Amino acid sequence: MTLLRAWLAGIPAYLWSGWGAVASLCLLLAAWEGASAVYGALVLPDPGTVFATLAGLVDSGAAWPELAVTARRAATGLLLAIAAGSTLGMLAGISLTASMMSRPLVTVLLGTPPIAWLVLAMLWFGASDGTPVFTVFIACFPVIFVGALQGTRTLDGQLKEMATVFRLPVRMKLFDLYLPHVVSYLFPAWITALGTSWKVVVMAELLSSADGVGAALAVSRSHLDTAATLAWIAAVVVTLLAVEYLLLEPVKRELEGWRRQEREGSAA
Amino acid sequence: MLNRNPAALAHPLWLCGFRPFFLATALSAAGLIALWGAFLGHGLPLPPVAGGPFVWHAHELIFGFSLAAVAGFALTAIPEFTGTASVPARPVRMLFALWLAGRAGFWLSGGIGAPALAVAGLIHLGLVAGLVALLAPRLLADLERRHLSFLWALVAFAVLIAGFYADALAGASPARWLHAAVGLLMILVVLAMSRISMRIVNAALDERGESPDYRARPPKRNLAIVCIAAYTAAEFLAPGERIGGWLALAAAAALCHLQSDWHVGRALFRRWPLMLFAVYVLMAAGYGLIGFALVSGSDGVSAGRHLLTVGAIGLSIYMVLNIAGRMHCGRELDERLWVPLGAAALFAAAVVRAATALPGVPANLLLALSSLLWIGVFALWLWHMAPLLAGPRTDGGTGCQGIVDKAG
Repeated sequence: MTLLRAWLAGIPAYLWSGWGAVASLCLLLAAWEGASAVYGALVLPDPGTVFATLAGLVDSGAAWPELAVTARRAATGLLLAIAAGSTLGMLAGISLTASMMSRPLVTVLLGTPPIAWLVLAMLWFGASDGTPVFTVFIACFPVIFVGALQGTRTLDGQLKEMATVFRLPVRMKLFDLYLPHVVSYLFPAWITALGTSWKVVVMAELLSSADGVGAALAVSRSHLDTAATLAWIAAVVVTLLAVEYLLLEPVKRELEGWRRQEREGSAA
Repeated sequence: MLNRNPAALAHPLWLCGFRPFFLATALSAAGLIALWGAFLGHGLPLPPVAGGPFVWHAHELIFGFSLAAVAGFALTAIPEFTGTASVPARPVRMLFALWLAGRAGFWLSGGIGAPALAVAGLIHLGLVAGLVALLAPRLLADLERRHLSFLWALVAFAVLIAGFYADALAGASPARWLHAAVGLLMILVVLAMSRISMRIVNAALDERGESPDYRARPPKRNLAIVCIAAYTAAEFLAPGERIGGWLALAAAAALCHLQSDWHVGRALFRRWPLMLFAVYVLMAAGYGLIGFALVSGSDGVSAGRHLLTVGAIGLSIYMVLNIAGRMHCGRELDERLWVPLGAAALFAAAVVRAATALPGVPANLLLALSSLLWIGVFALWLWHMAPLLAGPRTDGGTGCQGIVDKAG
């Protein structure tokens, strides 16, 4: 309860710290405005025009359905990757042999560019939802797998022994010993994967789908409509930033704080 | 035997650099706005100067009123920060004479013409050069060079003065140099406040029995300074453009970010920290309004600028006058009610001045109200503090010395 209260009391300070980010973003907008003045509206429309276009897309109701389709595909791929990556990663982490064996495979997966998977997916799934979902899955899977693997591998052996010696109940071992530690590795991996999923899904849609933000980007490109292109990009980036900084980052800080304490504790 | 001739070096007025300059600050604050109000309200003529009445107004409040405060602060605080001896009375008197001559020179420049304008420019440059000559060795002697930024600010002041007079002599409008000087003053306020706040906020924490561990850390401050400088440069090179608007919004956000250093719990709501904090609030609001006006293409740049000048500059100078002005006379801070009332009145003056830009308000009435509040605050300060600044020390301390520790 006190923990929860302390966490809630920290929210205003966290939100207030966002002003630093706002300042940097405003500097970026100023640079954008300057570049737009130099290169002209055809190459780079100014931020005002782009935001007006975006507001027009939102007002006309064109933006939400596309964003929803894209979000659905990204979420499906991501959830599959989280489920498979976390489970398999933890399993591989438990056994030294399995982790030794899986590392090269993960390196191969990580090393294969998403665009290569996309081409394969287009051959396998055609223009269906399967193409973006599969591409997202395969791009996110190794990231989460490695996180889960590391989380399990770095469990403190002495703590485990102590838990066995003191005959801790399984429930307590799981929730107080294993899970907090593993989650402190898993969660950052999930957030990284979320960013990847959102980027990869747009790319996949651009090349393979008839709807979604990626498809809308393809259309605005074919019309040479730079303002609409940038408006869609802004929509994607703003959505990702909102989800990441308002939802996931506070949780991540909390978990990393836990890990920091643990490290300081072991150092002392 | 007390020397009654204020020009004599033995007069207590010359005990420390801030004494003549802070008196001049408050006197000019009240006097200049009284003249300005009389001009706006009753058409009373102002001294004719290059660029017209608006340039006179801005020049006097920046290179007169504000520069006097900067000189008084620098002459007193920099020896204290660097742990060096106080500035002797003779050069202080010389600098003060230059300040007075600067007023006379600029006011007469319209009547006499270009030679007077050139002389006025040289006098102003001489004042800043004198400050640099007196203080640079102290700032450079500090091995860690912690306070060197004040030196760069003074040098920047000299550049802006030179630019102003060069434009005025060439017959161009010199207003852009004055706008840049407002940006420079904002940076100086941020620099000075970071030093003053360490003492004031920690004293408030201490009083509440909390550990005095407030630190004005550089990263947030530097971001704010970079954003303010970027906006000032954009305003100078491309006034009225949207790019400046984004930079002003960046400055506003960076100043809000900077405020989080101050979020130390209830101690913030003690009167001294709160009055200083209000300076940052006004500064953020001013840049926010300017940014919004420029980005949206609406009116409000002048309103935002007056939140910066009347609000942030006025209030921060008032605070320096009350804090440094008391402490270096050997007195504890004045805990009477008039100090926070004055700060509240200045805050109100800034908001009322900005509100004149709203459509459908009686702008003239609001202008008059804002001017009266401002004049009243500085008159009140003079009434309470002038005897202290022009009188001898009664605590046994000498010169600029702070509060003498009775126990020690």
